[in-house]
Amino acid sequence: MTGLFHRLSPQGLRILALLAVILLLLAFFASQIDGYFNARLFSRISGSVAIMALIATAQTLVILTRNIDLSIGSVVGFTAFAAGNLVSSNPEMSALLLVLFCCCFGACFGAVNGLIVAYGRVPSIIVTLATMAIFRSLLVEYSDGKSITTNTLPAWLTEFPNMPVFTVFGLEFRAAFVAALTLVFAVHLALTRLRPMRQFFAVGSNPEAAEMAGIDARRVVFSAFVLSGALAGLAGLMFLARFGNITVVAGLGFELKSVAAAVVGGVNIFGGSGTVIGALLGAVLVDVIDTSLVRWAIVSEFWREAVLGALILLSVTTDTLFTRRLVAWRAARAHARREAALNREARP
Amino acid sequence: MSAIPTLALRAVSKSFGMTVALADMTLELFPGEVHAIVGENGAGKSTMIKIMTGIYQPSSGQVEIGGAPVVLSGSKAARLRGVAAIYQEPMVFPDLDVTENIFISATDAGLILDRRSMRRRAEALIDRIGMTLDVDREARGLTLAEQQAVEIARALSQDVRVLIMDEPTSSLSAHEAAELRRIARSLATAGVAVVYISHRLEEVFEIADRVTVIRDGRHISTRPVSEVTPQGMIADMVGRAVGNYFTKMPSAAQQEVVLSVRGLTRTGVFEDITFDLHRGEVLCMAGLIGARRTDVALSLFGVHPATAGELRYKGQAVRMTSPAQAIALGIAYVSEDRRKLGLAMPLPIRSNISLATLAQYLSPLGLIDRRRERDTAMAYRERLNIRAPDVDMAVGVLSGGNQQKVMLAKWLAMQPDLLIVDEPTRGIDVGAKAEVHDLIRAFVRGGGTALVISSDLPEVLALGDRILVMREGRQMGIIDSARATQEGIMAVATGQSEAA
Repeated sequence: MTGLFHRLSPQGLRILALLAVILLLLAFFASQIDGYFNARLFSRISGSVAIMALIATAQTLVILTRNIDLSIGSVVGFTAFAAGNLVSSNPEMSALLLVLFCCCFGACFGAVNGLIVAYGRVPSIIVTLATMAIFRSLLVEYSDGKSITTNTLPAWLTEFPNMPVFTVFGLEFRAAFVAALTLVFAVHLALTRLRPMRQFFAVGSNPEAAEMAGIDARRVVFSAFVLSGALAGLAGLMFLARFGNITVVAGLGFELKSVAAAVVGGVNIFGGSGTVIGALLGAVLVDVIDTSLVRWAIVSEFWREAVLGALILLSVTTDTLFTRRLVAWRAARAHARREAALNREARP
Repeated sequence: MSAIPTLALRAVSKSFGMTVALADMTLELFPGEVHAIVGENGAGKSTMIKIMTGIYQPSSGQVEIGGAPVVLSGSKAARLRGVAAIYQEPMVFPDLDVTENIFISATDAGLILDRRSMRRRAEALIDRIGMTLDVDREARGLTLAEQQAVEIARALSQDVRVLIMDEPTSSLSAHEAAELRRIARSLATAGVAVVYISHRLEEVFEIADRVTVIRDGRHISTRPVSEVTPQGMIADMVGRAVGNYFTKMPSAAQQEVVLSVRGLTRTGVFEDITFDLHRGEVLCMAGLIGARRTDVALSLFGVHPATAGELRYKGQAVRMTSPAQAIALGIAYVSEDRRKLGLAMPLPIRSNISLATLAQYLSPLGLIDRRRERDTAMAYRERLNIRAPDVDMAVGVLSGGNQQKVMLAKWLAMQPDLLIVDEPTRGIDVGAKAEVHDLIRAFVRGGGTALVISSDLPEVLALGDRILVMREGRQMGIIDSARATQEGIMAVATGQSEAA
């Protein structure tokens, strides 16, 4: 057991800790709320996580390169609206085409952010704060005050999120959730196995060294924003399919939730380390709290945002303290081993 | 040697604006040799490395690889042609593990990472350079020596033909340094051209085949190490004509001891620094990069408190623990890093000069009295001959020399008793240098005391009443400047002789 503890990376420990916290929370809410565990709980959380996991993954890609994307909510909202508009006027269009449209639509917004951040050298927090507002205003202008309603959408789209795929232990896994999980795992594989994606970590970890190692840091940052935009576009499609009714405020507040999920999931806000699996678990945690607080009579609805904020603070603080200790402790141990080895060499 | 050089610089020059960093530099590197490059701080070594690794483009002249002229547009291009460099401060990615660090810039590999084969190759590379290192460990927490090993392995993973090592041993322990020299030697034996830049002359004599001396951006000599003596090398390094702008002035030193330092130590950084500083005296600290002079100054100023030793300031025993305490005692520290630690570049001259003494300009209401601030700034502009049409100009637009004077004005406005100045004339022109020297002399004649850190030997000789020479965190001795020579100081600073 201690051997495992030494071997596990801080990231691995982080994921185990997150799982434990999620289970503890579920147990806690079950003790507080009558009839907490029911079939609807899982479907509600999994339906919401399908969207949250995608935006958390999108945010993670950007944060890994030592940047942030605050415009993500606006991109989700705009894509949802545009896709809804497109599909209601062409109900016969193929699903694949719609998916492609959403990817490209979101990627275009990402490219705008990426161009200004990477090639204009403007800090991403400023760029995306501005584009958050600009994209939202463009959406208001584009929508002309109208909204998308469920009855204008084709049935295959609105039924997709609730389509059961398989059932495990009585828990029904629905299409949207399964699709989102598949995407997250695909991104995870790409991040860990594809050579160009490893450069995301390198640039976030030490931009100067990346430059010296011959990595085109600007291109890496640009790609991160484009990929992130494409994922946000897909999240927009999920949003459209799930809610059907889209107004100009769609996706409002997603920047906070996506950053919260990523950071709670162990993605270092200064870049260079983190996993999308962690971000996925972060999204689950955020959603469990969000969904459960609605049903917990003791806490007023208005406190949900504050709980989310507190969660970010708590996880980052413990993470900083804990990881720093762990790294220092391991370095000290390695040093002691080296010294011992040198001493052995010195004594023939 | 009639072979084709692996890499050659042909009449390469590089200037930045008006400053010439490298002039007409010629250098040939052959496979299998360890080629040492030595020179004083600021001689142009870094610029030369940056040209060889494609970070800078030469202003004129030609870089040749394997006999053919090339244009190295960026470090990637240089790596592709087999030129790699490792630095005193290794360039690793703290969040990635050793294996990933080694292969991060691999250009010949496919799209998909084969973790298992990468791991195996990483182990083989680490093994080849004779280190033991867990290739799954994160680079965060590795020692400097281990990080350098990772960088060398990274270079080896891409068929390196020229490996430039820039001061690789200056932060290593003796054991680690010996290990690194062994690695450098074995790479050369395998046919790599190794460029070895070091201030430790004994190292150069131990591992180099040939030595090139550069000075003021110019090539001075290239000789086989067997034909060079330490004295000859030092003479080449410092042998510039000393202009008449550095005139020696009589000492203004008085009897009173202002600062008495006994056995000052900061564990692992410097140890056993001992000297007395008299009122009216200028004590210069000489030494090479890595001598830890700045660390001693930062410790005297309370930034990084010493871990052992005694300080007596005006007869009172003190423990310096913060800059605020030092300032309250009348100690000022003028940093060598104008940009980072010295000046607020976008702020006007006026605000920069009043920055350390802001409390003196407050009106009864607690607001800053702008007129008084402006008057003081004007007075210092006059006194220090700061060439700026108006004191409301941003400091950032001034020349280096004038920025330096603003920085001095800021601390002189505090009317300190002890002024610590770090590299007061780095990167400023000769005229401004002389003016800065006059300022420091005027300050000590007026009853102040100065501790000056400088790498400029003529400056040290002209300005200092006594010269404290440091080497690798140790005090090598204190020399009376009347009896000192540039060669003598350099010999002590490089560990070739004891201070008299």
